[in-house]
Amino acid sequence: MEATATGAAVAGVEELRVEGLTKRFGGLRVLEGISFTLAPGDILGVIGPNGAGKTTLINVITGRTPPSGGRILLGGHDITGEPTHTVSRRGVVRSFQQTNTFKSASVRENVSRALRFSGTAGAEGWARVAPLLEAFGLASRLDEQSDKLPYGLQKMLGLTLAYAADPKVLLLDEPAAGLERSERTRVDEFVHHVRARGCSVLIVEHDMDLVRRLCPRIIVLDAGVVLAEGPPAEVLSRKDVIDAYVGADAAEDEAA
Amino acid sequence: MAPEPNLAARSPSRWGAQEWVAVAIFVAALAVPYATEDLLVHSIVNRVLIGAMAAFSVFIMLRMDLLSFATPAFMALGGYSAVLLAMNGVTEVLLIVPASFIVPALVALPLGALVLRLRGVYFVLVTFVLTEILQLIVFLTPGLTGGSDGLAGFPAPTLLGRDLSDAQSVLALAAAMALLAVVITAALTAHFRQHFAAIEENEVLAESLGLVVWRYKAMGFVVAAGIAGMAGFALGNMLLTVHPTSFGAQQAVDTIVYTIVGGRGSILGPVVGASLLVTAADFLGNQGQYAQGLFGLLLIFVTLVARGGITGAVVTLARRLRDARRTPDAPAAAASEAAARGGA
Repeated sequence: MEATATGAAVAGVEELRVEGLTKRFGGLRVLEGISFTLAPGDILGVIGPNGAGKTTLINVITGRTPPSGGRILLGGHDITGEPTHTVSRRGVVRSFQQTNTFKSASVRENVSRALRFSGTAGAEGWARVAPLLEAFGLASRLDEQSDKLPYGLQKMLGLTLAYAADPKVLLLDEPAAGLERSERTRVDEFVHHVRARGCSVLIVEHDMDLVRRLCPRIIVLDAGVVLAEGPPAEVLSRKDVIDAYVGADAAEDEAA
Repeated sequence: MAPEPNLAARSPSRWGAQEWVAVAIFVAALAVPYATEDLLVHSIVNRVLIGAMAAFSVFIMLRMDLLSFATPAFMALGGYSAVLLAMNGVTEVLLIVPASFIVPALVALPLGALVLRLRGVYFVLVTFVLTEILQLIVFLTPGLTGGSDGLAGFPAPTLLGRDLSDAQSVLALAAAMALLAVVITAALTAHFRQHFAAIEENEVLAESLGLVVWRYKAMGFVVAAGIAGMAGFALGNMLLTVHPTSFGAQQAVDTIVYTIVGGRGSILGPVVGASLLVTAADFLGNQGQYAQGLFGLLLIFVTLVARGGITGAVVTLARRLRDARRTPDAPAAAASEAAARGGA
């Protein structure tokens, strides 16, 4: 009993709760009353058509854009409207849709900056990211300039940088976009790796295979509202979801 | 092969060869007033030192990809503060030099809170306006600043009671301030090299990894203002007057050209740029308008052809020569590398 209570308390510390999050740009409603909870170790998929508000959701949670309403709580602490660097230091870190590295810096400098800026510099930080650098084949290219790397590796470096910042919650904005099919399993590797270390992950993604593989639970955004929430098999077979977004392809996939 | 943590532990804030060379140049400049009595040499070296100081101010902001036109405004604040102190009986350089740094630095703090959230062309425009506004304030406050007449005939600075009004001392004082400026600039830009580079390249990423971007921008802005202030005092001390026309937009343009033509990527850039362009302008003599034309053409040339300026081009060339020497069969190696890349 006691162990459970302690476990819940520890879990509470790192739990991300989004409550009634709303964002309007002038008269344009981009997010309307979005609520969800991300417990430690959770993997949540966020899907929806282009313009549904997926990236805006990440921008608002990480303090890049102030919300028009609603709250964001990390372990019960209200982090709504805090600046990006503060949110990041608290452990909510994002990756970017486009490859986002320090282009003219080497792989080593990139990682070293991520460790330093997040206040986790030193051997400990390097030990934490070393397995990822190894797995993605970046370990042997530490002195290469990051924008000279193949696109897929730049993308994986971007994910590694986000993890280097020692997150409790990772928000991944289309981690597989632009990757070749054969490279996409690296995203799986990444997510499994960070999750095994207690990180919770929110993944915005268009690759439905990847979403099905990785996410036990997904939410579907459409025009800023949550259209559906639940396990992917169930949600992706709903007629309204298919109509809104997934279209004929996925329906065929489901049938097959 | 796993990356060894000790590979990562190389101190990134250490001074490189360029910082040491820059400091050595200004140490050498201290000897110039005593090595020659040629007043033309004194005049050129003095103007180079002032130009380089002002260019360091621009250089610091460019490390964070912010092109500042506010340098003359801070020069004016430093220059007028020092001269007003001298006119009120404080002539000791150990007091008025720090004052010429601190006054603009203090003004930069609240100004920075307003303007440092801007980027790109907006930052350029607002800093340009700051220079215009400060000049206007000078014109509108003749009681304090002498207005359009400027302030002249102020007592010469002294060092521990010793009068510094002779030509040698004027140049030596400028050299000492320039040495201070280069040491401060080198210390700041080397210590925060990784932070500034991250802000220059990808501010959004740096912030999302936890870097408190505004803090570094504010620090850079404040120090840049202080260094500009010292340049302003050195200029007033050389001209024996502080005058609003010394601190206008033209001064901002000249200073930026020194930095960009010299090379914005190295602390030697402002030094090389100021040395060459001040001297070149001097050779054109009274035909001042040709100097402006020359600066304009050089700026266009550098922006189009050699983004790293003169120092950038030299570094690239040196690197190429070194690589060519390492691999005697360089063309073949390059060709095979290109082929491999094409095949990949």
